[in-house]
Amino acid sequence: MLISSPTSVEGALEELGNENTLAVGGGTSIALMLKNRLIEPDRLVLLNKVPTLSGIDERTSATVRIGATSTLLELMHSPLVNAALPMLSFASSRVGNPRVRSVATIGGAIIHGDPRQDLPPVLLSLGATAHIVGPSGERDVPLSEFFLGFMESAAGEDELVTEVTVPRVAGQRTHYTRFTPGSEDDYPTVGVAIAMTLDSEGTVRDARIALGGVDSTAILATEAAALLVGHRPSDELIAAAGQSAAEGANPSDDQRGSESYKRAMVDVWTRRTISACLAG
Amino acid sequence: MNVKMTLNGEPFSAETPSDSLLVDVLRLNGFTGTKEGCGVGVCGACTVIVNEVPVASCIYLAALAQGQDVWTVEGLTTKDPALLDAFVEKEGMQCGICTPGQVVSAYALGIENPKASESEIREFMAGNLCRCTGYVTITESVRTYLASK
Repeated sequence: MLISSPTSVEGALEELGNENTLAVGGGTSIALMLKNRLIEPDRLVLLNKVPTLSGIDERTSATVRIGATSTLLELMHSPLVNAALPMLSFASSRVGNPRVRSVATIGGAIIHGDPRQDLPPVLLSLGATAHIVGPSGERDVPLSEFFLGFMESAAGEDELVTEVTVPRVAGQRTHYTRFTPGSEDDYPTVGVAIAMTLDSEGTVRDARIALGGVDSTAILATEAAALLVGHRPSDELIAAAGQSAAEGANPSDDQRGSESYKRAMVDVWTRRTISACLAG
Repeated sequence: MNVKMTLNGEPFSAETPSDSLLVDVLRLNGFTGTKEGCGVGVCGACTVIVNEVPVASCIYLAALAQGQDVWTVEGLTTKDPALLDAFVEKEGMQCGICTPGQVVSAYALGIENPKASESEIREFMAGNLCRCTGYVTITESVRTYLASK
């Protein structure tokens, strides 16, 4: 296996043009997959020496730009992320343990495409966009169109996710709940991320509900969110939204719960997370 | 590949397969203070410091450490004697297998949050597992170390 350490995005793209080549952010998932012989790449392209892939800043007053190699530790401590996107800081602080958070990157979290991880549903609910650069040019792909299947994304093998942009919405209420019946540092059985805005009367103007761990990708519970819009949600409406989210999920049996248990937990945790958002 | 880094403040280089993990490069070159426990980044026994942050060396490619500033338990306890003194004073060890990781994590907390409260200490150290369950004396050791700073 060859190792390349480019120092620019152009250099990284050139290396990614080789056959059977993988880009490495922090490599926490890639190291595990290599160890278990789940992948056998001919070449790894390390991104930790490409300075333009790091950094968090305000792209505009309405957008936060997060470089793909920003670590979860940086997301936890960035004053900008804490102020503008507190749910993202919080979710980052709940992943694994300090040794994983100081290495794992936001770019890795989305490109790896593991639906059990925390950042995919959080970024989905925040309406984030991935910026993809490849040999044929650059494009922006909303995360709602980015996750194509289990560990499959819209970014091609010869392309690179260079940054994630997240809209900054004034007065937006956000809440992320991760339900881990086992150990706290485990993947969640169900993760529910909600971003909503209310008007001064308490009527829901806009809502996005995203679920982790209950389908082959992180998913948006679009119908559940639509039920809330235009209403000051009553307990009955919140219950209907929980039910709708549970019906829209497609979980599978594993050590974190059976299909029916996970579906029931989607209902429960969607309701609780909606209530948490409404409570402020 | 040849991996070069600054290890415990000294230049270090080693010839190693390109898919090597940092823990293996360290141990095969005599830095056996770092232990491999679970091998999946969960137990904390393999904790080392890379560029001032704690890293699980069992899931960290050695290639990523190229040119970086790496510290293991051997170097840290020499650089910062208060670290070992605190663990000795509070008897923050039983069988000893998790101890190097606990010591390195305590150092990492000292960088990230030297004024950590009791709950912050527990939160930060939560991923360092002790199968002897000697957590009370371990957290006392960490508190004593932070107080020395």
